[in-house]
Amino acid sequence: MSRGKLTSSSLTPNDDALIAAIRSGDERALAHLYRLHWPMVSHFVLQNSGSEDDAQDVYQEGVMVFYEKVRDGSLELSCQIKTYLYAVCRRLWLKRLTSKSRFGVRLLDDEEHGPYLNTGAEEDLLAAEEQDRRFTTMSEALNHLGEPCRSLLEGFYLLDKSMQDLTAEFGYTNADNAKNQKYKCLVRLKKLFFAHYKEEPI
Amino acid sequence: MMTEADYYALFEAYSHGELAGPARANLEARLAADPVLALRYADFTEMTGTLRAYGQRHQVRQRLRGIHAAMLAADAPEEISKPETTEPAKLTYSVNPMLSISRTEQRLREFWSGHRATVGVAASVAILAVFATLLGLELYRTSKTQPSLYGYQVLRREVERIKKNQKDLTLTLNQFGKPSTGAPAPVVSKFSGTGFALTSEGYLVTSYHVIQGADSLLIEGRDRQRYHAEPVYSDVKHDLAILRITDKKFTSFGRLPYAIKSGQADLGERVFTLGYPREDVVYGEGALSARSGFEGDTAFYQVSIPVNPGNSGSPLLDERGNLIGVVSGRQNDAQSAAFATKSSYLVRLVDSLAAAKPAAPYHLPRYGQLGYATRPQQLKKLQDYVFVVKVFE
Repeated sequence: MSRGKLTSSSLTPNDDALIAAIRSGDERALAHLYRLHWPMVSHFVLQNSGSEDDAQDVYQEGVMVFYEKVRDGSLELSCQIKTYLYAVCRRLWLKRLTSKSRFGVRLLDDEEHGPYLNTGAEEDLLAAEEQDRRFTTMSEALNHLGEPCRSLLEGFYLLDKSMQDLTAEFGYTNADNAKNQKYKCLVRLKKLFFAHYKEEPI
Repeated sequence: MMTEADYYALFEAYSHGELAGPARANLEARLAADPVLALRYADFTEMTGTLRAYGQRHQVRQRLRGIHAAMLAADAPEEISKPETTEPAKLTYSVNPMLSISRTEQRLREFWSGHRATVGVAASVAILAVFATLLGLELYRTSKTQPSLYGYQVLRREVERIKKNQKDLTLTLNQFGKPSTGAPAPVVSKFSGTGFALTSEGYLVTSYHVIQGADSLLIEGRDRQRYHAEPVYSDVKHDLAILRITDKKFTSFGRLPYAIKSGQADLGERVFTLGYPREDVVYGEGALSARSGFEGDTAFYQVSIPVNPGNSGSPLLDERGNLIGVVSGRQNDAQSAAFATKSSYLVRLVDSLAAAKPAAPYHLPRYGQLGYATRPQQLKKLQDYVFVVKVFE
């Protein structure tokens, strides 16, 4: 696990500490981060003909991108967290607006949030979009999988239940039976997943 | 032979590090040697990885939602400013002040920022529509009341308003004495103008716009004698109309004291007119100031006589008492610029009518009798041949 390159010149010590806290899985740090930058993004979206709900969606999406980058340690931040989040949310909202509107979109930017270009947000977003696509395919594949399999896999991988719990829940005679069933389900899921995932154009 | 599911069991054990030394070395060797197996393993890891990440994202999303809800519930900015963490790094942030605005205002702002473009467009369209309608109505009205061009005012008089006031007055007076047994309300004419005798047989001349849209016409002389009349012919272009008295009791005007001039009058000639801009006959005097009318119309003279609504159709006479024109209108934005149709057009009109078999013969007056009389004497003779033309619609 390579630690993300943090150019400390543009990063305040607070940002540093916050990132460290989030990486270590501190729930309150995430909440703190969330509350800290919410006014900025909500103001931005409201100013650019969005609603409160739009702002929430965009902001959560943006924080998600940031959070996932922090968690797997691939975040390369060359600016403040604030600027990064602003750049990500701005890009996300711009995308939504252009897909909604028939006319060209011009955003009103808050000057104070400074150079939001070249923050690396663009590349991160592209990666996140790829990831999104993968997740969509996965959820479709799960939906197509059919009932006992779907619940079994979701229980194991998504809800982090132990094999013993699942054995009891689904009424298998022992854990090995459940495991075998799980592997069979995985094989089917694999076929569905890769069939959908590979055939879609990049 | 292992099924794919068996391989998966193997892969899972391997990735969890549960395989014993030899089995593990065996699998690693096979993975290195067998590309099909390696692909299968890669697929397996990708799929399980995606599944786990997918689950994680779900959880994070839930958590963020929870945070958001908690934040809205807290709704108090001071609570945010001091999140106490036991982490080694202290999180002391200077927090942006929350925008402290009420719910309604928030909603209003949202609405405004969402719809301001639409609202703007709608408002400007509405404003445009209102002004276009007003302007259109105004143009329509002016085109209706003024058959001629804008800036040119025809001089028929709207009687109704005056009469209505009078009627109201009478009604009030009647109610003082004997309630609800007032005399039957007189039929009120809508417009009035002036007309004058053309021949002794009962033909009269007035302006076309006076009788425009008329249902019936009433001619009233100075001695309050009334005759019914009907339009015989009208010339819209030169604003002339010829009427004929239809009453049986009418015999003749007698010999007309003025002649109708068929040629053109000269610039600067002293001219006068006699008309009914109000209930009594009114004399007006001036000079012939131009030999063309409104916007260079050669069918008209311009005269410097002050004229008023009701003067339309008045005769215009020169010093010798020859009829040289028929008063038609005035220019609104010019000082005492009145216009009168040239008498030569009247003569031409009468001639063309005579050619088309008239119901009664025409005898245009040839010689005037006013030549050497003083002005008051002229007027005394003239006023019997000038009438009010009342128009009922």
